[in-house]
Amino acid sequence: MPEPTTTTTTPAPGAPAGGAQPGPSGRAEREFTVAERSQFQLVLRRFLQHRLAMVSLVVLVLLVLLAYVGGALWKYKFGEYTPDESEPPSWEHPFGTDSAGRDQFAQVLRGTQISLQIAVLVALFATVVGTIWGAVAGYFGGLVDTLMMRVSDLILTLPLIAVAAMLGHNFGGTWWLIALVIAGLYWAYVSRVARGVVLSLREKEFIEAARALGSSDVRIILRHLVPNALGAIIVNATILIAVAILLETALSYLGFGVTAPDTSLGLLVSEAQTALSTRPWLFYFPGLFIILIALCINFIGDGLRDALDPQQTKVRR
Amino acid sequence: MLAFTLRRIAISIPVLLISSFVVFVLASAAGDPLDPLLARNPPPPPQTIANETERLRLDDPLLSRYWQWLTGIFQGDFGPSVNPARVIGDEIGDRFLVTLRLIALAMIVALVLAVVVGVVSAVKQYSLVDYGATFFGFLFLSMPAFWLAILLKQAGIEFNLAVGDSVIYTIGEATPNFQGSFGERLADIAGHMVLPTISLALISYAAWSRYQRASMLEVMNSDYIRLARAKGLPQRTVTVRHGLRNALIPLTTVTALDLASIISGAVVTERVFQWRGMGDFLLNAIATDDVYATMAWLLVTATVVILFNLIADLLYAVLDPRIRYA
Amino acid sequence: MRRTRAASLVALSAAATLLLAACGGGGGNAGGEGGGGAAEQTSQGGVLADCADNPNDCNSVPADQLQQGGEITVALEKNIDNWMLIHSDGNVSPQSNAIKTWLPFTFATLPDLSVALNENVFTSAEQTSASPQTIVYEIKPEAVWNDGTPISAEDFIFTWKYQDGKTCPDCTPASTSGYDKVASVVGSNNGKTVTVTFAEPFTDWKNLWSAGAPLYPAHIAAQQGDYNTGPGLKAAETYFVGTVPTYSGGPYQVENWEPNTALTAVPNPQWYGAVKPKLDRVVYRIITDATQEPVALQNDEVQVIMPQPQVDLVAQVANIPGVSQQQSLGLSWEHIDFNADNPFLAAEPLRDALATATNVQDMIDKTVGQFNDEVEPLKSTMLLPGLEGYQDNIGDSGKGSGDVEAAKKILTDAGYTGVGTALVAPDGQAVPPMRIVYTVGNAIRQTQSEIFAAAAQQLGVTFQPTTTDSLGTSLGAGDYDAIVFAYISSPFPFSNAQQNFVSTSASNYTKTRIPELDALLNQAAASTDAADALAKLNEADKMVLDVSAMLPLYQKPTYLAIKDNIGNARDNASLDSATYNIAEWGLRQG
Repeated sequence: MPEPTTTTTTPAPGAPAGGAQPGPSGRAEREFTVAERSQFQLVLRRFLQHRLAMVSLVVLVLLVLLAYVGGALWKYKFGEYTPDESEPPSWEHPFGTDSAGRDQFAQVLRGTQISLQIAVLVALFATVVGTIWGAVAGYFGGLVDTLMMRVSDLILTLPLIAVAAMLGHNFGGTWWLIALVIAGLYWAYVSRVARGVVLSLREKEFIEAARALGSSDVRIILRHLVPNALGAIIVNATILIAVAILLETALSYLGFGVTAPDTSLGLLVSEAQTALSTRPWLFYFPGLFIILIALCINFIGDGLRDALDPQQTKVRR
Repeated sequence: MLAFTLRRIAISIPVLLISSFVVFVLASAAGDPLDPLLARNPPPPPQTIANETERLRLDDPLLSRYWQWLTGIFQGDFGPSVNPARVIGDEIGDRFLVTLRLIALAMIVALVLAVVVGVVSAVKQYSLVDYGATFFGFLFLSMPAFWLAILLKQAGIEFNLAVGDSVIYTIGEATPNFQGSFGERLADIAGHMVLPTISLALISYAAWSRYQRASMLEVMNSDYIRLARAKGLPQRTVTVRHGLRNALIPLTTVTALDLASIISGAVVTERVFQWRGMGDFLLNAIATDDVYATMAWLLVTATVVILFNLIADLLYAVLDPRIRYA
Repeated sequence: MRRTRAASLVALSAAATLLLAACGGGGGNAGGEGGGGAAEQTSQGGVLADCADNPNDCNSVPADQLQQGGEITVALEKNIDNWMLIHSDGNVSPQSNAIKTWLPFTFATLPDLSVALNENVFTSAEQTSASPQTIVYEIKPEAVWNDGTPISAEDFIFTWKYQDGKTCPDCTPASTSGYDKVASVVGSNNGKTVTVTFAEPFTDWKNLWSAGAPLYPAHIAAQQGDYNTGPGLKAAETYFVGTVPTYSGGPYQVENWEPNTALTAVPNPQWYGAVKPKLDRVVYRIITDATQEPVALQNDEVQVIMPQPQVDLVAQVANIPGVSQQQSLGLSWEHIDFNADNPFLAAEPLRDALATATNVQDMIDKTVGQFNDEVEPLKSTMLLPGLEGYQDNIGDSGKGSGDVEAAKKILTDAGYTGVGTALVAPDGQAVPPMRIVYTVGNAIRQTQSEIFAAAAQQLGVTFQPTTTDSLGTSLGAGDYDAIVFAYISSPFPFSNAQQNFVSTSASNYTKTRIPELDALLNQAAASTDAADALAKLNEADKMVLDVSAMLPLYQKPTYLAIKDNIGNARDNASLDSATYNIAEWGLRQG
């Protein structure tokens, strides 16, 4: 039974997996484990009851299925030319076609795949690296903190678009490269948030208690600090996924994102920026897909946060 | 506090140096600024290529070029642009003011919106207002900046048609050689600022209002607020004096941290609305492999970001008495 | 509580739908009409309606029916960072639209692509002797720069020395072609008669000091140094490149320059031409993102735009009331070059087959054909429809027809095997995958490359569409197997043809090396008999097409959209652009 903590961080070698092993503080540990299980179930139940988040999750799953399964089954392949040029939506082409007769539905599905891949890669990479980095810095404090946070600051002072544009200009637009560029800059942002939370938790009683019980630093960070910082980090990670999709869109608009012959939602929507009043199907469909994906992810994150952080679900009066 | 400030500034200098070096390496590796010259048909005389190579210091080793750039900065020399007629130092000052105007106004609008919306939706949690604010917040959070800007432009044109006069403009930061009274001039500038400010503000406000709501909720759930309520303080006093004041603390950090991303957002906004600010400058520099122009952009932006972070940290200490920088 | 939550959600979705509808409101309405507009093709319409039939005189308004005064804002797609059109960095077409309005020149290209003497400045320009070739220009006595200095032979001498490629080795003029063949420039009659003598014959002499390479004031150059010497010319170059002009010998002069934003020109009070400018002011507004131009036009922030036409642009502008648009077939043309240095493409049958299997009409239908039904497959690699001497040199050879069966037969007959599956050359070597290169981000060329690649695939050859972010670098390095790009022709075709196809030329990107072709092209460029030169050029063209060194695709359309109240503005498909007659522009009365 994985704890919520291990869904985002890998257990470090020093930390007992699952928490069922008897340790020097065997009794306390077992009791804690039992409590955590029920807490996970509580979180799950709370999330399931969060309707907006559940609806969003269903929509997102459907979108992902549509992009990958639908894309494979759809009668037109991405990039395939048809004789119907600049056709408005019809049963044959539900999203219409572009100047060269490419089926916009097939294009949007492909774009969705690439944009999702970029976003997920960014979120995973940036969140994992950023959380660990920030937690370690915040926990140890002092020189370690200063040095590690200077590295974060260093990256934060490099405005994302400048570096991403420069790299995009240099290496051209492969999707994973763009994802790595965005993630390679965004983890620093996550690290600052993680550090902030850890700083405020560090002096709390339960940490001192854990320290007094002889827990190792790694254990305290991974078992106590990170789980308690998770709410803030998840809010961040969701924003990050949306940000990654939108950032890719912005980069494509500026000409430094994914480049043809491949495509992304960002590229599709920037290519169609002139089509707003003349071929609206080219402008609105990829744009609505971007909004839909980003909205769903944000709502899911919101639901997760509410579920993870029961304090905030309702003001107690 | 003073010691802390000085120490932070002292620490920031190596940060700036290292980040400038990293970007210098990246920018220098990005492409050959002489490409257009070499590709010219008929080919230019070898002397021209040699002159340009020397002017742009392309034959010097990377470290030496960086050193020349760095020492130049202290003498007010930002290095040679690919375009011989361009003096980077002169241009970037004007451009900075243009972008500053855009960003400052957009940030103020966004912050006011964010605090109001965030507080109201936290206090009235799960009300229709909260749902509305949440939904629209998320909607703007999920919109590509230029997509919204293109729609706003159309809305602006519709507005002009409805009013029957050109009130809102879609390009530039002012009408060139505007002839008219001071008031008319002001109206002209305002008409140019409306759309870019809205589009930049809407996109930043959304994220901040979410933060504001979350931190407000956290504060309102804390023991001392309950204590304040238990003491029988009026709801208004509790919310504003005790709640809001503490709930603003996280927003200062977030705002400061987001400055870099707002600058990134301004790059897009400036492109859509054809403002001649820093973003436009950067895009030109990258497109022409203009290393020193890119560096000038970086230097200015990074300095601003670092200063802003410092101010945020200081504010943090002022606002939250638990944090003391010794 | 649950119920309210669900109800709120419904209300919210409804609100969101409303918001989106409201945001899209303007666009949505226009979209309904625009859908039709896109399909309808080019409604040239409005005041520019008869430009197709009457390119030189359409939208004419007599001077007395124009307002005295007024202001026109013209969108300019590039910032002006170089004020010297004859400098290699300054020869950029968007900025030259503005700059040449204050410079005197000999000949201009009219909208019908004929070449006409600039009668504001010259009373005549004639070839008085064929051997040695001698041209005599007569400058009007009243023609002066705006500081009162006469326009004279000295201006010819300065610009000749600058562009002759010898006097100033450090200078970088845009072109030395022709000027390097001039033996002497002599002024007489107080400098108002200019006699130019060539060391060797030069067919395109009308291109010298023409609107693309106008005269610059020698008396201002002289302030920088002696323009008969290299250092003096270099100093003058530096001055003219970097200095916002105060000089003017044309109808307008610079009033104000706001870098990256706008150039304001006002009438030149010393203007000596027959037509006096009617406008108070012409503003050139820098809009570097062409996609923003139609919106700015719609919002009346600019009144004249000349971007590259594109399907949405044409449909969008068609829906703006009070605006007319026009497309004409310009001097820029797309083509596919085969790199004969590739050992497989060195074999003519493979090139022939690829050229035959490519359906040029289909490429047009999927690109420019969407907004312009005048565009046709181009039948020459050296001349364009509208230029004197153009003829169909492809004939019934089937090149560009998309006839895959004919293409297969060419290969089979030449001894290729694996035709249609995996092509093997007659010597038994398998034809490896190759690349067709196009500029990154250019959607039209992407489509062209993909159609070409699909055709090649049917023959059993793989061409991978590949992007380059520097066309010039790829071309210079020969880093392509096939490459699709555009050339800009001029009414002076001979030097262009030499550059593109002579064996020794650095810009012979097809790597064609045929001695007979070299001889023909060199003779054509050095002939003083125009008819003979054109005949030789066409002969050379047939030779190039016969070996399928290059597959010409089509002429690209140029574009102009103006507010209907602007009189005398019309598209000019040559590099001289719509501003060629800016002195005549004005606002209609009433």
